[in-house]
Amino acid sequence: MLDLALYFALLSLISFGGISSVLPEMQRIVVDVEGWVTPAEFTQLFAVSQAAPGPNVLFASLIGWQVAGLGGALVALAAFCVPAAVLAWWVGAVWERFRDAPWRKLIQRALLPVTLGLVIAGGYVLATPDGLDWRHAGIAAASTAAVIVGRFNPLWILAAGGVLGVLLLG
Amino acid sequence: MQALRGSPQPPAGLGELFVGFVSIGARAFGGVLPWAHRVMVEERRWLAEEDFAEVLALCQFLPGPNIGNCAVVLGRRWFGLAGSLTASLGLFMLPFVWVLMLASLYAEWVSHPVVKAAMTGVGTAGAGLFIGTALKLGRPLAKLPVALALVAACFVAVGIARISLLFVLPVALPLAILAARRGWV
Repeated sequence: MLDLALYFALLSLISFGGISSVLPEMQRIVVDVEGWVTPAEFTQLFAVSQAAPGPNVLFASLIGWQVAGLGGALVALAAFCVPAAVLAWWVGAVWERFRDAPWRKLIQRALLPVTLGLVIAGGYVLATPDGLDWRHAGIAAASTAAVIVGRFNPLWILAAGGVLGVLLLG
Repeated sequence: MQALRGSPQPPAGLGELFVGFVSIGARAFGGVLPWAHRVMVEERRWLAEEDFAEVLALCQFLPGPNIGNCAVVLGRRWFGLAGSLTASLGLFMLPFVWVLMLASLYAEWVSHPVVKAAMTGVGTAGAGLFIGTALKLGRPLAKLPVALALVAACFVAVGIARISLLFVLPVALPLAILAARRGWV
């Protein structure tokens, strides 16, 4: 559990754009390196965290829960939130000073393509729990298209994914 | 509607701050951001639209959960450390309980093939939500070949080749900053 806390604390500080940009790294650690959960469980726990209300970051607590029960859930959530929160606390105080600084805008512009690449990688990892399978890829592609072309409530998209899952995978 | 016209007022005390953030977390199905906006700008009028956008810009710039960062920054602005802790606790309390309840329920049913298939479907659809949102946010980059190459390189390195972020970021960030300085991204 100490390993989990240290990993998550580290991920916390590089999670630009939230947990979605570190999902691939999280999957690599908890599935490939440590073997705490299987790839399928990783995707299913992510589904649980998406289906519940609240911040995406609660996914971290579900990984902790799977590894070490309630204590694991609390530790994982704290590990993922506290380092970033301390940084936010500190930067929040000095923000006024460099709000309009050119280097801040520069970093923001530089972060965008990197973050987007990482988020897409996270989506790919979640959509391929058992390697590339046309059914999983199809559901993910349909949901991607739904986000881009329509203004659906995400809950409808998730619900449709559940129905397609039963039809295609059940 | 009278309240909407008055100028924004910070929460009167820690109690109001707590209740406000609880009501953000508790209702945040399918994303926290819209609810944070609704509660703080529209319902409780703690912040003007521009203030909210500015705090959000800061919180998106920082690593970590965006709205979690907002709770820290705004809590500090209004009530110092006690405010940061109160807002964060309020935001996470109910969603934490609910997600664990849902996970326990799920654990009971996971051996059922239909439930498993449904949850895998929800998970892959959620993956598509992320990809779709990223593609939408990336629209301004469509005409910037270097930016697109960076997106693709990060995707391949982390998603396909499964190289650790701890190796990818130290390479990708300096390259991205260099590209930004040249005006390529």
